[in-house]
Parts: sequence; structure tokens; C-alpha cells
Amino acid sequence: MNETLHVVQKLSDWRARALEFEQEIQKAVIGQARVVRLVTICIFARGHVLIEGDVGVGKTTLLRSVSRALGGDFARVEGTVDMMPSDILYHTYLGEDGRPRVDPSELLRHAETLPVFFFNEINRARPQVHSLLLRLMAERSVSAFNRVHHFPYLNVFADRNMVEREETFELPAAARDRFFMEILMAAPDDEDARRRLVFDPAFHDTETLLERVNSGTLDYRETPAVARAIQTHVRSSEALERYVLNLWQALVDPSSAGVSLPDVDLDSLVKGGASPRGLAALVRAARVRAWLEGRDYLVPEDVRDVFIEVMAHRIFVDPIHALRSDDIVKRLCRAAFDATPVP
Amino acid sequence: MRIACVALMLAAALPAFAQETTVRIHSARPFGYFVGDLIHARIDVSAPADAVLSRASLPNPGPLTGSLDLRDVKLRETSDNGARLWRLDLTYQNFYVALDARDIEIPGFQLSISTATGAQTVAVPAWRIGVSPLREVAPQKQEQASDYLRPDGSAPFVDEATPLNLAFGAGVAALLALALVARDRAWPPFQQRKARVFSALAHEISTRRGADDANLAATIQSVHRALDQANGAILLSADLPEFLRRRAEFKPLRVDFEQFFETSNRLFFGGESSRDDDAAEQLVQFVSRLARQERAG
Repeated sequence: MNETLHVVQKLSDWRARALEFEQEIQKAVIGQARVVRLVTICIFARGHVLIEGDVGVGKTTLLRSVSRALGGDFARVEGTVDMMPSDILYHTYLGEDGRPRVDPSELLRHAETLPVFFFNEINRARPQVHSLLLRLMAERSVSAFNRVHHFPYLNVFADRNMVEREETFELPAAARDRFFMEILMAAPDDEDARRRLVFDPAFHDTETLLERVNSGTLDYRETPAVARAIQTHVRSSEALERYVLNLWQALVDPSSAGVSLPDVDLDSLVKGGASPRGLAALVRAARVRAWLEGRDYLVPEDVRDVFIEVMAHRIFVDPIHALRSDDIVKRLCRAAFDATPVP
Repeated sequence: MRIACVALMLAAALPAFAQETTVRIHSARPFGYFVGDLIHARIDVSAPADAVLSRASLPNPGPLTGSLDLRDVKLRETSDNGARLWRLDLTYQNFYVALDARDIEIPGFQLSISTATGAQTVAVPAWRIGVSPLREVAPQKQEQASDYLRPDGSAPFVDEATPLNLAFGAGVAALLALALVARDRAWPPFQQRKARVFSALAHEISTRRGADDANLAATIQSVHRALDQANGAILLSADLPEFLRRRAEFKPLRVDFEQFFETSNRLFFGGESSRDDDAAEQLVQFVSRLARQERAG
């Protein structure tokens, strides 16, 4: 009993700190309250994030702010077409004596203290690199220098270049499914935020901007324990579980659930995805959201709020719709919500 | 009654009846009757309180003499100062074509009365009225027979405007009423009117009141389904601002909506039991408010 009370108190304290964490991030990244909320959910659900967004909307600033607020290190690599897995793990250079040297890369050096690893333009990298990343994400470990390196606090954030198609390697379905969320980051809609971003010199210099963010608002070393506590503490009722299962059914077999989309044949639309791992991720994210909202039970809004971000990138549609699959999947998700009664 | 009291007061035939049985004949006037006129007479017969009149002894309507008919006989029975009073209204018609003013006789008749002392006969005596001759009006001599004819009276002028206006007004009112009924029943062309889901729900809920959890849960679910129908998609609490923007008629109920979703969430997802009458009563009131706003909208 005392232990339960202790957990409730601890979670309540951590919730206050998580909200403070969001406030800190928003000192540097304005007009992106939802993106910040989603990133917070990912941190407390221990999930890796695929960030999709135009160049220059503040993805790096966001991630560096997160890293600073968590108090840990920050590592970043740029995906290129000739990148090999070893480039991520090893730093090769010529020493002062003119001899080649191989040192651990930034990623390996910070392995124990790294909460944020940013892989920019992941779809420029080759599948070999993807597979290394998959292992890093799934197991939070890699092998290098003939031993296994662990990354106990690691959250991978990857960015997809959506502008160019040449010399890019689209992430395979399995790789996309490993990402907990795909977050769309667009320029803010708010006019005031836009004006400040353009005219306020404070937003022109990332380094000074980051200094606004208090370092160590959250302790990244505690996040795994808190994440576990959230998942066990936040309850899901029978009605909610039925609701999530109905949603799943609506995605897998839309026509049987009464879902319809104009101009799309739903019988052959969904070819894969919507995996049990995806649904489990959905519930994990929804639980964190419920906790952030101050509840100890899930409501349908929690599920719906994170649904597109958690599920849309895991649903694979008929190749005939490939070029506009993102749009169709989002419409399918919304239609599934519109057709699934609750409670 | 305009009948002036005239006339005749007669003692009955027997001395024992002298103080107790009287007959009075009233007529409108005793003179001035022409051929065809109706003669109204009222005959009051007063008798002891225990007397009973034999109705068979009443005169029967029909010809009385060659020139006098009895047209109608009406009897009323009342009491007057402890005595029995029979009031006989008689209508005669005169067919006597008088050539000069003279009296004619209205014949008398007898009534049978039975009292404690035995059967008695009361005689209503004959009485007389004056009849007058009809005199022709002698016009001036005319050459042409047609000159005696008088022109037809002109037809009265009837103003049609008022009845026409009234008819038109009534027609418009009838059409208006029909339109209102059609709208209420969603008859064409009002079939596109939004279905009154909340009115139907309020009716449904009123038939299954109860405070137990299962009933409350079922009621909340049906309210959810009605809200979904009104929204056109599943309505969650997060959709409320957008829903209230689209269906502005429900805006005044914002607080009720929030309370409803709160109750629903706690019951279905928070694992709480709301076994109290308040929640059920509030729900019924919420639905009736929804129905009212729906009708107003």
C-alpha cells in the first residue's frame, strides 16, 4: 500500500517536472506545443521518433533543446548516400604522427550518457546503415571494437528528407515499424510565432537560444524507471480495450467495420502493418498522454490524440496508392475513428 | 309572456271545491283576430295538493268546430302556495271568414281530477273572442292589368369584400398551420429537416428510468450514439468546441456537455461506479435540454 502511494507521489512529482520540461523546450522552440508534447510522450514511453518536416523548421533546435533539458549529451549524424555503418561507430583520422587512427565515434563515446541521437536525413543512408540503426533502436546496443556497447537511455530521432527522391533509400516497412512515432513538424501557424521567428534576433542564433533552456530539468537517468511506472500505473478499462481492438479491426479490415473512403477500394487498400507491436506502442503512448493529462486511467481521447503519429507510418497500403499513401492512411485512420463507437 | 291577464275566473261546479279548485283563462287579447290567426290561450287550473290530473281528459289537437282548430296542447305542472297548479298552453287557429266584426266561441271542455275524496270533473268554460273581416285595399282604377303589378323589390346589396377577406385569411392560416404540421412531422418539403435525435432519445429514456449502473451505462451509451448521430461522426469530448461551433444551438449547454463527458469517462474508463440517482437525473435533464435546444434550433 505504502509502495503504491509512493509510486503515485513519485509520478505526480514527475508529471510536474515533465510539464516544466515542456515549458523549457518551448522557450527555444515556439509555436510547436503539439510537437513538444509528442516528443515528451516519446521520451516517457521510451520510443524512437521519426521526424518529418521541411528544412529549417527547427528540428535540430528542438532535439538539442530536448537533449539539454534532459541534461544528457547530444549526438548527430547526417545521412549520405555513401555512408557505411562503420562511419556511425568509428571516427577515423590521421594522427599528428601521420598514422591512421580509429577512435570511437561521438555515438560510442557518449553511449552511457546519451539520451538523444539525431540521425538527419535517414533516407539518404543505405540499407546497411538502416540495419545498424534498427539494432541500435531495438536493442539499444551495438557491437564495436569487438565488444557490445549499451545505450541505456537512448532515444533515436531520425529525420526523413521528403523533398528529393533521387539517391534516397526509402525505409523498409520493418524499419518504419521500429519507430515509435512519426511526428510531422511544420512551420508554426500562429502569426505571432512566425513573426518572432523571422524578426526576433534571439531565434537566429541557435547557441544562445539553447542557453534559455534550463539544463537538467529532467534527469534522463530516471526516465526508464518512470516510464515503467507509468505503464503499470495508468489503467485501461474493459470498454477502452474493446475500443482499441475495434479500431484495430477497422484498420485491418475497414469494410467489415463500416469504414468507407470516397474513391478508394478499401477491400484491397491495407497490405500490411497495423501490427501488434504498433498497437502496443499506441497504448504505451496513450498511457503517457493520460499521465501527462493528470489521469490514472485511459480515455478514448488519449488514444485518438496519438493515433496518427503512432500508427500511420506503420500501415502499408496497396502500391497503386504509394505516391499518396500518407494522405490515404491518415484519411483511413480518421474514418476508422469516425466509424468506431465509444464507449 | 306577453299574455295579458284577462278574464275569467270560475268557480268549480261543486261547493266542496269552492275554495280549492279554480280555473283561470288568460289570452293575449280577446279581439282583433283574422282568418288564419293563431290564438294563444293559457289556462291555469289550481287544485288541492294531492290532486292528480288525468291526462286522458286533456283536449286533443284537431278540428273543434267547422272553423276552429286546436293546434297544440302543452301541460306544465307546478305548485302554487301549497296547491297544485296545472298550466295548460293551448294554441287554436281561427278559420272563420268574418264578414263583419263579431264574437265567436271557443268551446269549453272538462278535465278529470282525482283527489283523496274521489274523482272530480273540472269544467273549463267556453269563452269568446272577437274576429274581424279582411278588407281588400281598393287601388285606383288602372287601364292595364299589368299596372297593378308592383315592381320587384330591389335585391339587397351584399358587400363581398369582408367575406372574401375572411376566406382568404382563413385559407392563409390553414396553409400556415399545414406548413407547421408538415415541418413538425418532416413531411415533404421538410424531409431534409435534421432528424430530432434528442427528442426521440428523451422519449426512449423516459420509458426506462432506473438508477442501477447497468441502466445508467446503457443510457449514457445511447446519449453517446445520439451525439454521434448529431455530429455525423463519433463525438469525443475533445471534439466539443468544434461541434458547438457547428451546432450553435447547443452552445448554452456547454457546461452540461462537459459534465456528461466527465461522468461518462469516469464510469466507462475510470472504473468508478456512479450508483446515485443524481447522475441518472442529471442525465435525463441533460437530454431534455438537448431536445429543447434541438427543437428551438
